[in-house]
Amino acid sequence: MSGAWLAFAALTGMVLYSGYKVVTSPLITHAALYLATALVGVAGFFLMLESEFLAVVQVLVYVGAVMTVIIFAIMLSDVPALQGDPQATLVSRLLSRRFGSVPALVSAGVLALVLIGYGSVRWAAAPLGGAPEAVHPLLHDTTAQGSTGVIGRALFTTYLVPFEVASLLLLAAMVGAIVLTRRERGAAEKAAAGKAGAGAAAAAPAVEGAAEERGGAQFWP
Amino acid sequence: MQPEWMAPWLWTLILAVVKTIVVIAFVSLNAAVLIWLERKVSGHMQNRVGPLRVGGPAGILQSVADIIKLLAKEDFVPQRGDRWIWWLAPSVAFAPAFLVFWVLPFGPHLVVEDFNVGLIFITAVTSFTLLSIFMAGWGSNDKYSLIGAMRAGAQLFSYEIPMAMALVAVALATGTLNLTAIVEKQRHMWLIVPQILAFLVFYISSVAELNRTPFDLAEAESELVAGYHTEYSGIRWSMFFFAEYTNLLTSSALAAILFLGGWHGPWLPGWAWLLIKTYLLVFVGMWIRWTLPRVRIDQLMDLGWKFLLPVSLVNIAATGLYLVVVR
Repeated sequence: MSGAWLAFAALTGMVLYSGYKVVTSPLITHAALYLATALVGVAGFFLMLESEFLAVVQVLVYVGAVMTVIIFAIMLSDVPALQGDPQATLVSRLLSRRFGSVPALVSAGVLALVLIGYGSVRWAAAPLGGAPEAVHPLLHDTTAQGSTGVIGRALFTTYLVPFEVASLLLLAAMVGAIVLTRRERGAAEKAAAGKAGAGAAAAAPAVEGAAEERGGAQFWP
Repeated sequence: MQPEWMAPWLWTLILAVVKTIVVIAFVSLNAAVLIWLERKVSGHMQNRVGPLRVGGPAGILQSVADIIKLLAKEDFVPQRGDRWIWWLAPSVAFAPAFLVFWVLPFGPHLVVEDFNVGLIFITAVTSFTLLSIFMAGWGSNDKYSLIGAMRAGAQLFSYEIPMAMALVAVALATGTLNLTAIVEKQRHMWLIVPQILAFLVFYISSVAELNRTPFDLAEAESELVAGYHTEYSGIRWSMFFFAEYTNLLTSSALAAILFLGGWHGPWLPGWAWLLIKTYLLVFVGMWIRWTLPRVRIDQLMDLGWKFLLPVSLVNIAATGLYLVVVR
């Protein structure tokens, strides 16, 4: 048994166990933290494949960005509502649309897609910890800086169109998020006025609103 | 160096352990020195008297007394917190501060791990900080901790983006992600000259990410007791403290490496130059902390999103244009 085998076994155990706990944890916060562990484990696999760029980007994107958004969503939401019915059994949980069947179907679809993708590519077979049998011609490119250069070049030549399409998709998602969360200025003030106006004189909220309009200039509202 | 009889992976493991011990020793020593320096700087700047009983030359023994006190203090555990998460948070907070150290080059061959993608590695490992803040805030089961964690998270998130953009400009200008190579490119001119905008964005963002005054809304004592580490005491609290001082050191060292020519300088050996530049920036960080008042939350967000981010984007565009047109 070599060090590579030990590392591989440890990483696999870590990823599989955390993946299992992501699905079965009763608390969504625990699920989020297990998800982060699983994603870091995948970065470990990339490191073992000597693809340091992918490993680092995996951590940067999944722990740095995706987990951040998930954590913010959890902190800003009502945790008991996310947990669903505490009395539910496994079967009733699987049958419920929000907590069982629809997520399961979507996950199964994604899994099938990924498996089809894996099946259609011919992978260079390599023994663990040994040299690969056949190396992709791109990897012989000595002018590039390791895997970073190879990926960068491929991204901006062969895969330029998918890359641009993905960035457009992200831009559309960003615009959508802004539209969804944007509050009308007048509406928010009206709501505040309605609340305050119930007890206080009608003039008071109007003055407050005017102070807000002037921006942060006034320190004491 | 490797003995014949030893398996290569065992040798790698032993080397890793030795390197870890060396880095931890340096980082610990640095924290003790910085505590002393912070007391000195704050005392002189705000004209106030510090602790007097434990003296030694220039009050240097006070740090030792502090460390002994923190180690001996009662370790208070919140009864209804989320035990495991609460327990792990300080270690997760310390890990990124310590990992960044692995790729910082102190000289042409004086680096723990000469990582090819060091620049992205740094942005990647620092993202664990947010996870630790969330774990501390959530695990404590306390409103001050949770609000502090929310604020700290929003702040980290907002300043991580301009900081990464400043680093993109550095990578563009030097054409590499390897920190040793970046310093090597600054042999004739420090990067701060062409990339002054990136330096300013990077430095302001790194001060903001440290959650120190004037950006200490996350632990504003007057409102939030102590923010996300309200429920921590003794050795666990000192882990957070330790992480803060290590982060101060690493972000200053990174600024020195990326923009101030790293180990380059006349007469003195390289590592001495880097330490001088680093501690100069650390001093500037303390100077900022003890002279400026805390900003408001809207000012904080405006500075990050409406000023630093556009500036760094313009800087990237200008750098790219320069590379295309001039070269």
